[in-house]
Amino acid sequence: MATDREMEEIGHDEFDPVGTLTLITVYFLILVGMWVLTYFVEFLGNGPTVVG
Amino acid sequence: MNVHTYEKIWLVASLFLIVGFIATVVYGAAGAGIAMVDASGGTVDSTSLSENERFGEPGVERVGDGEYEVTVVARQFMYQPDPIRVPADSRVTFYVTSADVIHGFQVVGTNVNTMVIPGQVAKITVDFDEPAEYGIICNEYCGQGHHDMEGKLVVVPEDEYGGDDA
Repeated sequence: MATDREMEEIGHDEFDPVGTLTLITVYFLILVGMWVLTYFVEFLGNGPTVVG
Repeated sequence: MNVHTYEKIWLVASLFLIVGFIATVVYGAAGAGIAMVDASGGTVDSTSLSENERFGEPGVERVGDGEYEVTVVARQFMYQPDPIRVPADSRVTFYVTSADVIHGFQVVGTNVNTMVIPGQVAKITVDFDEPAEYGIICNEYCGQGHHDMEGKLVVVPEDEYGGDDA
């Protein structure tokens, strides 16, 4: 039974949520990619542009 | 306070994002020279545009070497003048105002876009490097003929440009 299982105590820095880190990294890269696409490709690449 | 290493990673990453967003917009303004439409065009009496020095005669005017001024009056449901003809490799300043209600002035497929507000003059400067043909559309609902409100902007090759009235 679950209650009989031995519990393992780990310290603060031993807890490594690798899955969360991976997920956030993927989100982050998508965000950066979308920003680059919208600003540099769709906006700056969409000339002529108002310059004054 | 004991902050976990991973937490430090995404704190730094989110700061980098904010700095990155601001940096790209600063680059756009300072490096690429992108400008916002502001109030520098001033105001005008929209009820007597025909007596106005500038808007009495909408059209294209050459003001310098490769520099042109285009005066545009938007009204239900047309733009004056139409079509607008300017030469390629030129710097064109548009002065746009409305004779009646709020209109839009968008050169289709480009970043040239402004609201056209009665009483306000929208002043926007644009560099046209290549010959091209653009549509101009109204993107503010302005009445029952809104969907028909369009104009044309023709950027002709420099040697084919016949002058202000051509």
